Amino acid sequence: MGTLQIAGLGNLTVWLGFALALYTVGAALVAVQKRRPAMMASAENGIYAVAALTTLAVAIMEWAAITHQFRFEYIASHVSLDQPLLYTISSLWGGQEGSLLFWVWLLSLFAAIVTFQNRDQNRELMPYAIAFMAFTQGFFFLLLIVVAQPFKMLNFTPQDGQGLNPLLQNPGMFIHPITQYLGYVGFTVPFAFAMAALTTGRLSDAWIRTTRRWTLISWLFLSLGLLFGMRWAYVELGWGGYWGWDPVENASLIPWLTGTAYLHSVMIQEKRGMLKVWNLVLVMLTYILSILGTFLTRSGVVQSVHAFGTNSLLASIFLGYMAGVILLFLYLLYTRLGALREENEIDSVVSREATFLLNNLLLVGAAFATLWGTIFPMISELATGKQITVAAPFFNTVNGPIFFLLIVLMGVCTMIGWRRASVDNLVRNFLRPLLVSAVVVGGLFALGVREPLGLTAFGAAGFVSGTIMVEFFRAAGARMRQHGENPPTALAMLFVKNRRRYGGYVVHIGIVMAVVGIAGSTFFQADLQKNVRTGETIAIKQYTLRFDGLASYAEENHQVWAANLTVFENGAQIATLKPEKNYYPASEQSTTEIAVRSTAMEDLYLILAGSNDDGSVTIKAIVNPLISWLWIGFGVFMLGTLIAAWPDPREARVMQRIQMREAAVAAGR
Amino acid sequence: MQNVMTGIAQPKPRARILNLKYIIGGLIILGAIAAFALSNFQSNVVYYYTVPELVAQKTRLTGQTIRVNGPLDQSSIDLDQKTMTLKFNIKDNGMVQPVVYKGVVPDTLTNGESVVAEGRLDAAGVFQADSILVKCPSRYESETPKQN
Repeated sequence: MGTLQIAGLGNLTVWLGFALALYTVGAALVAVQKRRPAMMASAENGIYAVAALTTLAVAIMEWAAITHQFRFEYIASHVSLDQPLLYTISSLWGGQEGSLLFWVWLLSLFAAIVTFQNRDQNRELMPYAIAFMAFTQGFFFLLLIVVAQPFKMLNFTPQDGQGLNPLLQNPGMFIHPITQYLGYVGFTVPFAFAMAALTTGRLSDAWIRTTRRWTLISWLFLSLGLLFGMRWAYVELGWGGYWGWDPVENASLIPWLTGTAYLHSVMIQEKRGMLKVWNLVLVMLTYILSILGTFLTRSGVVQSVHAFGTNSLLASIFLGYMAGVILLFLYLLYTRLGALREENEIDSVVSREATFLLNNLLLVGAAFATLWGTIFPMISELATGKQITVAAPFFNTVNGPIFFLLIVLMGVCTMIGWRRASVDNLVRNFLRPLLVSAVVVGGLFALGVREPLGLTAFGAAGFVSGTIMVEFFRAAGARMRQHGENPPTALAMLFVKNRRRYGGYVVHIGIVMAVVGIAGSTFFQADLQKNVRTGETIAIKQYTLRFDGLASYAEENHQVWAANLTVFENGAQIATLKPEKNYYPASEQSTTEIAVRSTAMEDLYLILAGSNDDGSVTIKAIVNPLISWLWIGFGVFMLGTLIAAWPDPREARVMQRIQMREAAVAAGR
Repeated sequence: MQNVMTGIAQPKPRARILNLKYIIGGLIILGAIAAFALSNFQSNVVYYYTVPELVAQKTRLTGQTIRVNGPLDQSSIDLDQKTMTLKFNIKDNGMVQPVVYKGVVPDTLTNGESVVAEGRLDAAGVFQADSILVKCPSRYESETPKQN
């Protein structure tokens, strides 16, 4: 087969995929309406077939990339002969067409796994869940057919391609889009089940419990997407920070915020039968915001609103799809309001339920403030033609206080009782955590820290850590008395007996660590820029940097200029750092490669800002205190999420009871 | 949307869909967040001006934080590494706006097509930029680097 035939096959997979996805929607709906089990089996096969087709499409694209088929327009603009294999592979998710194909591939795999997992259970929900997942697939196939054809061919074969944008040639950027997309795509699963629950009227918490693990894992991937995005910005963009409230960054944060709200509020529904409508709305919002995130990142409207003009078809398909889904959801919700009555009421404002509700409102409030600041300038420009922007100060002043309250609430929530907390309960529970907080603030003050925002953030972190410690001590203590276990066993048994709860606390510990890292690097950063000749030094805080000359050499696909700097701390030599400038001839672009020395206390971050003909260089040095704790915190956070998501026999038994009860109700009718 | 399998056991009818008290409370909290966001939005909006617009409203805009965007005049780029000062002109419709910037120069400057500078116009009519963003010929739809 020649290149053109293979590309033709690629095109065929997209068209067939589109047709099959639509067929699957129809087959699943007919199967349930007309009660035809054979049709249902056919719909399930449709899901598997789409997964096979998209896998083939991705395989063709990767083959074309690895074997340098520059006749493929996509390959010619994203791959070059001299770029490393790793980035040739990742070129699939480096551009619009490829990444939309990648999206639908991930969704197809998820849909196939869900279908297989539920082949013998949730039989009432599955037809609608399958129909909705296939519907989403159909939408992405439509994009691939109409606006972003991945298998478009040039009418000649270029000698070499343009290569992947050098900025994306970084391990962080290899992994970041994968995790981000897994997160975005993953939320399709809980939303598909929510739609199924609404359509069938089976609105008990079966759909929530069925998708709990999917939700957690998708949320974990969204979190990892944020982490790798920040890491990439920190090591690759070379400005010493990791978060700039860039529209693309915001697009990944917003669904994370609503997803976090959802993860918390479902607990209220499972435990107390409340907030049912709210949960449905939250999962819908998270799904829609994931689609919006994909749109903002992939349409180019972020760089320039004028992309609406040049790519208005893409924009109208996306916006039309989102509007359609929201309307369908609202219609279904309206018809089911009667079945969504609360089984309980909130008894008191001073209760765990109320703090969960407040946490939800704050998270959704932060999501909307961020969304507003991200898209309002675009809407305004479309309406008035006048370009405006809001930058970091807006997001910091609005989200700063909201995030602070959320963190304090994280501590309050741990300690407050369900239903109604007494004054006695409050005093007893909060005394020790407040003491921890006071010790932290007092200690830092004694050490000379005066920055009020920094002290506030560390105080809040101390308070939350205090509540979590008290909770662990108390629960482990109770086990030691009741079961005569030794302290390590008691602590381990907490995770065995209730991994959801204690996994959740581990997630909170990770967040506290991240808060420490963020507060440290935000409020206590020091920076300095200086021009130096060989042998001259730069002094920043306790460090002295000696410039030992500039080296220049060729690498695989770029030319490197590296400044050699010897680092002394309080007079003793501790490291040699080499910040670089790289030049990529294929794309005529240069990039800055920073050099960094990390310790648990602080990062020394060096940028080669420029070099002169006389051999002198300009170095920008930044000291970022405590920033390592941001990355470590994410590790702990991940561990906690995995603990919470780990299969739990107790959960399985609850699920079985619910299913049996529902089956009995259905049979008795 | 009628379905044969609808209707499982209805919960006890005693509770309402959601207690009105909490709906009102929730709306007040969300409203407060929205009001807070909006008031901050107004004070943090930064307007974009083209060079002709900037020249026309020079007196009014002097001293305000604004963004000026337009085609970068490559021949005007003057970078003094010693003092780390970058000077360049934005040239639009025959009008020229000089810009001065101190800081790390974006890698993309030398093949930049247009530029967005954020900062203030000083009394001498020179734009003192706190940050600059260089836009390249749109070859990639991927992220443009940010400079702070």
